[in-house]
Amino acid sequence: MSLDIIKSDLIQYFIIYKPQIFYLIETFVKIGILYGAVMTLAGVLTVGERKLSALMQDRVGPNRAYILGFTLWGLFHVVADGIKMIMKEDFMPKNANKILFTLAPIISLVPILFVFAFIPFGNYINIFGYTARFEIIDSNLSVFLIFAFSSLAVYGAFLAGFTSGNNWGLLGSIRAQAQMISYEVVMVLSILPVIMIYSSPSLSGIISAQGENISGFVPKWGIILQPLSFLIFFTAALVESKRAPFDVVEGESEIIGYFVEHSSMRFAGFMFGEYIEIVLFSMLISIFFFGGWQVPYLSDSGFTLGNISIPVNHYIKVILELLSISVKTVVFSCIFIFIRWTLPRFRYDHITKLCWKYLMPISVLNLVVTAFFVRAF
Amino acid sequence: MIRTKKLDEKKLNFWESIYIVEIVKGLVVTMRHFFINLFFPSRIITVSYPEENLPLIGNAKLKSLHRIKLRKDGSPKCVACMMCATICPSKCIYIEADETENYVEKYPKVFNIDMSKCVMCGLCVEACPEDAISMDTGEIVGGSYDRFRNYKNGGLFLTKNELFRHLPHETISKSGAANRLANKYLEDKND
Repeated sequence: MSLDIIKSDLIQYFIIYKPQIFYLIETFVKIGILYGAVMTLAGVLTVGERKLSALMQDRVGPNRAYILGFTLWGLFHVVADGIKMIMKEDFMPKNANKILFTLAPIISLVPILFVFAFIPFGNYINIFGYTARFEIIDSNLSVFLIFAFSSLAVYGAFLAGFTSGNNWGLLGSIRAQAQMISYEVVMVLSILPVIMIYSSPSLSGIISAQGENISGFVPKWGIILQPLSFLIFFTAALVESKRAPFDVVEGESEIIGYFVEHSSMRFAGFMFGEYIEIVLFSMLISIFFFGGWQVPYLSDSGFTLGNISIPVNHYIKVILELLSISVKTVVFSCIFIFIRWTLPRFRYDHITKLCWKYLMPISVLNLVVTAFFVRAF
Repeated sequence: MIRTKKLDEKKLNFWESIYIVEIVKGLVVTMRHFFINLFFPSRIITVSYPEENLPLIGNAKLKSLHRIKLRKDGSPKCVACMMCATICPSKCIYIEADETENYVEKYPKVFNIDMSKCVMCGLCVEACPEDAISMDTGEIVGGSYDRFRNYKNGGLFLTKNELFRHLPHETISKSGAANRLANKYLEDKND
């Protein structure tokens, strides 16, 4: 008797809170898809970087790790590296600040991971009348929130060096702060013209504005309207990810960097964070300058170019859009790696000079000119 | 007075000073290598050593794994004279002699080479009066990805089973005094 009451109550609650329950399930599924993809890509990039650099230098690259005799082009090195990292000694220096030392890798990893919540990785999907947007947090100010959260990552680098009680670590974290904080200014300044042109401070707004075409057939992508912004943002992204040619923070041959004293999974946190940062900036570049999930000429009614129109199934369209942003992200991650293995390291004073004397005035000029054109037309 | 050296730094022209053109030039070089190696992996000259072997060049083949040459009937040319075991600087050859019924009268009952001690100096080959021990197999000792894998089932410790063998397409050598006697004995026996 009482069980029936509970049952009917549950059904009633389900009917009342149906939208909320659906939203909960939807959010968890989206988190699973996006973070699964990002983590997988970052993991593959760790071995992908070694493999790509090997091909660039006429080498074979990692190809020895195997499971049951299958090497799978060295892909099992991801697993082998992970196991190695876990098995290593977890070393804590005697004069380190225990709490902050432990916290540093987490602080450098979590804000970067959190930023992905704002990123729209697809348009929307309509399953049996239920519409879901491929975006975990839909915010009107997502561009600014992204830069606010991703700039928190500098605290990880800063704390790691300062609390490890090692002079090399201290030197590395000072360098990391100097270059990361200076380039954050340039990075945001280079994105402001993009926000002005598409007149929206939210990522989904920027992407949907890029679906239009200029004079009928050229996609209205950021790279065509703001090539200078793209170059500056790309440079700033290279600096923010602390990789060559801006890797004085590590400088393998001189100081090891802010994570000298970090070993085992603590170090893996920093290293994995670096690769996740690459994925993040590749995604941001593809969103700001290459239309994000937009496929050229594809809209709800199918491919349209002038008078020609080919209708496309809704699910195929969703898959095409998801593929579009994934391909762009992977391509830009590869370009990050190619640049890292092509260019030599910048000198420390050249990095700051490049920022404050060249990129900063250029981006301000770009901002002013864009503002003028946006107001005039 | 501090000695100073003035470096003449090359002045960059406009295109060099904005980096972009030079970066693209650099990327063209690395990308050319990348795509050539991606689509034609055979262009990479790396040899995955334990699985693949390059043929040993020139006389390098004469400093490879040992073997004992055999006569026509399959008996070893070695007469257990102990020359090789005596000259061996690392004392890695162990021989036990025994009697045989032919003219030569001696043959090695036990012939062991401990390859973990061998320094591949080749003095045993120089010392051998019968041209029996030789290092002409062209095989390299111990090269293997799995360091505990046995080399031909015997590990690095070579015994008669691994040592006494013909090479494929080998013309049987006739050098050595005892060898000639033994061959004569064999011919007589055939008649």
